[in-house]
Formats: sequence, C-alpha cells, structure tokens
Amino acid sequence: MTALRDARFWLLVAAGLLALAGIADPQVGYRRQRIDALFIVDITGSMNVRDYRRDGTPESRLDHVKATLAALIADLPCGSRAGIGLFAERRPFLLVAPVETCANFAPLAGTLERLDWRMAWEGDSHVATGLYQSIALAAAFGTDLVFLSDGQEAPPLHWSGPPPFEGEPGKVRGLLVGVGDRLPSPIPKFDRDGREIGFLGAGDVVQENRSGTPPPDAQQREGWHPRNAPWGAATAAGEEHLSAVHEDHLQRLAAATGLGYARLAPGLRLDRAIATHATPRVADARLALAPLLAGAALAAVIAALVPRPRRSAGRPRRPDTHPSFPLPHRRTP
Amino acid sequence: MNGWSHWLVLRPLALALLPLALLPWFVSARRVSDWPWLGGVPSDPGSAWLDRLLRLLASTAIVALVLALAGPALHGQQIERISTGARVALVIDRSGSMNSTFAGRAPDGGEESKASAARRLLKDFVARREHDRVGIVAFSTSPMFVLPMTDRREAVLAAIDAIDQPGLAYTDVARGLAMAFDLFDRRDPAAPQAIVLVSDGAAVIDRRVQEKLRAAFASRALHLYWLFLRTERSGGLFDLPADPSDDTPQRMPERHLHRFFQSLGVPYRAFEADNATELAAAVAAIDQAERGEVRWFEAVPQRDLSAYAFAVAALACALLAAAKAAEVRIGPPLPEPPR
Repeated sequence: MTALRDARFWLLVAAGLLALAGIADPQVGYRRQRIDALFIVDITGSMNVRDYRRDGTPESRLDHVKATLAALIADLPCGSRAGIGLFAERRPFLLVAPVETCANFAPLAGTLERLDWRMAWEGDSHVATGLYQSIALAAAFGTDLVFLSDGQEAPPLHWSGPPPFEGEPGKVRGLLVGVGDRLPSPIPKFDRDGREIGFLGAGDVVQENRSGTPPPDAQQREGWHPRNAPWGAATAAGEEHLSAVHEDHLQRLAAATGLGYARLAPGLRLDRAIATHATPRVADARLALAPLLAGAALAAVIAALVPRPRRSAGRPRRPDTHPSFPLPHRRTP
Repeated sequence: MNGWSHWLVLRPLALALLPLALLPWFVSARRVSDWPWLGGVPSDPGSAWLDRLLRLLASTAIVALVLALAGPALHGQQIERISTGARVALVIDRSGSMNSTFAGRAPDGGEESKASAARRLLKDFVARREHDRVGIVAFSTSPMFVLPMTDRREAVLAAIDAIDQPGLAYTDVARGLAMAFDLFDRRDPAAPQAIVLVSDGAAVIDRRVQEKLRAAFASRALHLYWLFLRTERSGGLFDLPADPSDDTPQRMPERHLHRFFQSLGVPYRAFEADNATELAAAVAAIDQAERGEVRWFEAVPQRDLSAYAFAVAALACALLAAAKAAEVRIGPPLPEPPR
C-alpha cells in the first residue's frame, strides 16, 4: 500500500491519535513550593504613620500592609495555608488559625480588610516580646511566621536592650518584615472617640525608659543624684514622637531569632522574600497536557498540508509534468 | 439573558492561529500524479465535491485543534437554592477568664477550659449546619472583627479554632455586640438572622451605648441568644439578690445585662451553662430554633469543553488519514530521481 510510505499519511494518523489522547485530558503532577505561615500584623499607634503612597496619595503603614498581604495571599499557590493575627502591647492575638488560602481567600481578605488600630487593647508596643510570643504561637501551629512591624518600641527599650530570646533560634522559620520609611514621620493622634486630632508631640510619649537601672553614663548628666535623680534632672528629650522603621532593632531581632529580614519597600517582592526564608514545603500541582497535545496535533496537520521541498535540490525542475499540488478539475472550453 | 456570557476561553491568544484554517484551500495533502493536462478529462462534479469535502475536513481539523489549544470552557456559576439555615453572627468573649475551667481553675488534664469547650461545641454546630453563613466578632477590652459573614466552612472553623488561645483582660460586651451588626449584609433581608453571644461574664453597659444598641436591635429582625458560661460561685443570669440593695448593674452585671436584653423587644433566649454538657444542650437548642428558609448559592465549577474540540479534530484527522490511505496513483509512475 502506497500510503504506508507516505509521510503525510503518518502525520495525519499522528494528529488523529494526539487529538484522541486530548479527549482524555491527561495531566502530569509536579511540585511547587507552598507557604504555610502565620501572618502577625503590628497594629500599634506608630503603624498609623502615613509614609507609604498609593496612587499618589499618602497611605498609612497599616493600610499598606493590609493591601500587600491581601495581594500576597491571593497569589499563593493553592494548598498554601495562612493564619492571621495582630500584635499590640506585648503579645499576638490570633484571629484566624492557619487555613487553606485558595478556597478561603474571600473571608481571609475580609479579615485583613477590617484590621484596625482600634482593635488594640492597650497602647504599648513591646515589639521584641510580641515577636517572641508570635514565634511560640507559630510553633504551636507548626507553621512559619511572617511578622510585620515598624519596630518602634513604646515605651522605648531600656538602655540594656531588648529582653533575650529564650527559644531556639531558627526552629521556627520565617520573615520579619520592617514596615515604614527610613525617614521619621509624625505619628497621628486620636481622641478617645477615635477621631484624628493632629500628631503626637514630644510631650505625648515616653521619651526614655526610666524603669530598672539607670545607664552607666547617667552620672555625667546634668543634676544627677544617686537617690533623687538617678537619670539626671532634665526631662528626657528624644524623637520617640516621630517614627521611622527601626531597621537596626528589627535586624538584631531577626538575627537573634533566626528569622529573615526584609524591609517592605515599594519594589520588594514579598512572596520571594518569604519563600526564601520559609520552610520548604511542596504542594502538588497538576499541569494539563491538553494544550500541548493540541499544539502538536495542529503542527502535524499543518506539516501534512504544506508542500514539501524537492527531495533532491539538484534535479532539474519539470514544472509541466510535476506540479507540486494538483490542479483543480476544470472544464476547458 | 445573553447565551454567550457563560462562555470563556482559557488561552485566548491561541485564537490568533484561526486563519490557519484557510490553508487547506491553498495547499493539499494529496498525492501528486503525473498527469500532464486535465483539459481532456470531462468535468466530474463528484470529484469536485470530494475535493471540497477533503479541504473542508482539513479546515475543520485545524479549527478544532486551535479551539482545543485555546481551551473553551463554560463559566463557573452560582445557582441559587433555597434551604434551611440562618445567618449567624457569633460574638465571642476572648477575655482571660474564658481560659479557665467552669470551676474557675486553670485547666488541667481532666477538665477543659470554657474556651475550649465553647470551641469544640461551636465547631460541631457550624459543621452540622451546611447552609448557614457565619460571621465572627471577638471582644475583650476592645471589639475585634474576626471574620466577615461567609459560607466558607473551613475559614469559620479556623476562626473558631483561635478562640481558645490566651485571652485578654476585660469583657466589653456592648462594643462587641455593636460590631456584630456590621456582619449582616443588606442583600438578603428575609433570611433569619441571629446573634449568638458566647461569654462568661458581663459588664456594665453605659447608658449612651444602651440607647445605641437598642436602636440597632430595633432596626432589623433578628434573634438574640446568650450562651452564658457560668463559673462556679459567680453570679448567674436568673439569680435574685439576697439583699435588694445589691441589685445594681455594678454588683450583678450579668443579671442586668440579661434584663437589658429582655427589654430589647427582640426574640431573646438565654442559656446558662455550668458545664460542657449544658453548653452542648444550649447549642443544640439554638440549632433547632434557627431553621428558617435561606437563599444560598451552589457553586457550579467552570467546565472545560476542550474534549469536544479534540473529538471533532480526532474524527476529522481520522477521515483525512483514511482518504489519504485510499489514494491511488493514476497514470505512469513518476520517474525515479537519478541516483
């Protein structure tokens, strides 16, 4: 049979078989990294500072974090899990335990949307302690931790530094995200009904932590007296009423706890930063082969149609007796 | 309704290949025969139609394969259904005392805390009620919006899972209740709505706040339930004071909050639970009562229709291959190429 020696016949057969295979919608499994993390968002007063911009208008740190996290969670591969909590005072408060992100995106986005500084039960912001407790919380759920904070301690840290981390560094993996600009900005002030009434002044906040022992250099201060004025006579001056991201503090905390650190700057790819520091976990994903089969079958059909170049290019062409495609049947007058 | 609005194409760029379907009308897969001139052959309408048919088949195969590549599909849809259920706003106390047992002690091996008993029973409740939409507000020193009203069971269960985490200091019931009204949407006003307050204590509600709550409750038809987790030796909802001069909101906040709820004029039931068994009975009673008619939407997933395109393409290719196999050579054999 002559057809068996004709490549075009085999191309058409191949196309038919590929299309037949396509009906079954074959798929191959492959693995991609998924994220399993507890997201703890700092909601203390300094997070109201508007040092981000969206579409040209100032945006508060908290609003920026909410929008960033919603976009991030929307893009996580299916099978990832996210829990949402907030941080204020000295501890995290869990709102939603870790849950699969694809099926539950809408409620998770709703929870993020309503995060508010008014949920804080106290005005203090002991970031280090809050971070340590968040690590313990993430460990209890067996997830990674993503802790978003501007690192501003209120009241300010004691001169001797943050309390030591008593856990095992690196046991819980994850990312500490520094929120805010490096240049200090004023912190909005609210009245007791939650209306904004300007900005915090130097006298509205504690400028120096005067609990515990005074610093060793206190003796050089004006009016120092070991019993009556161990911190010096002058009222503390400082810039605690302004807020910038405290990167040094956060980086030290990250180093002490074994977390990664990244600043939430406009160009940051947060998903990549998290993936770098996250525990490697895989999600089963499926790749449909149908488009591939359709493409191959299409190529085969086209190849069967296009006129072939001559088998030997050197042979003289005989256009009259050897047309490259049949002439249509035509009645001649 | 527009019939095309249900259709979508997963990879629309592939449709740019559609003009390839014209190719068979210019070239053909058929064998070339050495026949010098067809002018002498009488015209044969049958052959002409066969020619057109074969070209049409090739076009069909190409169109079908391009469509299969593009991935035609039917949109996922929401089909409205009517079932029994309710819109439930859970208002959950996250004060520190919820983490102790009904006996007022720190939980040890034998006895679970009020929060974990509530967690267990509420999860059962939510898991049983398939067509409810549930939203959650937590309160302690300040109200916290936890979860918008949703039908995503997993998310609701995850939010309830969080309630036996350590709680905070105070019990500000009023602001938690006020926030619960944010949970109800206005789209489905006919659905039965219920607020379920789960708490182990109460606080004095400011008179101004009382008026606001009263107005909020008057503005919509809903049922109010109070699951009061009573700690041993603490004041109950129905206790009468031994000394009438003790009958003040400050001394007996629970009793007075209960009376305030009774005065709201909404269907209200209070359940006092001293232990997990009584709590389970209370949850079952709410389950029984909240069975109204609700509209809910069944999600019909997107349907991929590529298989049909593949089937058409396979058929067309098979016919083309058959036509190819049936070819015969007419006329003298082509000269062999010189070696």
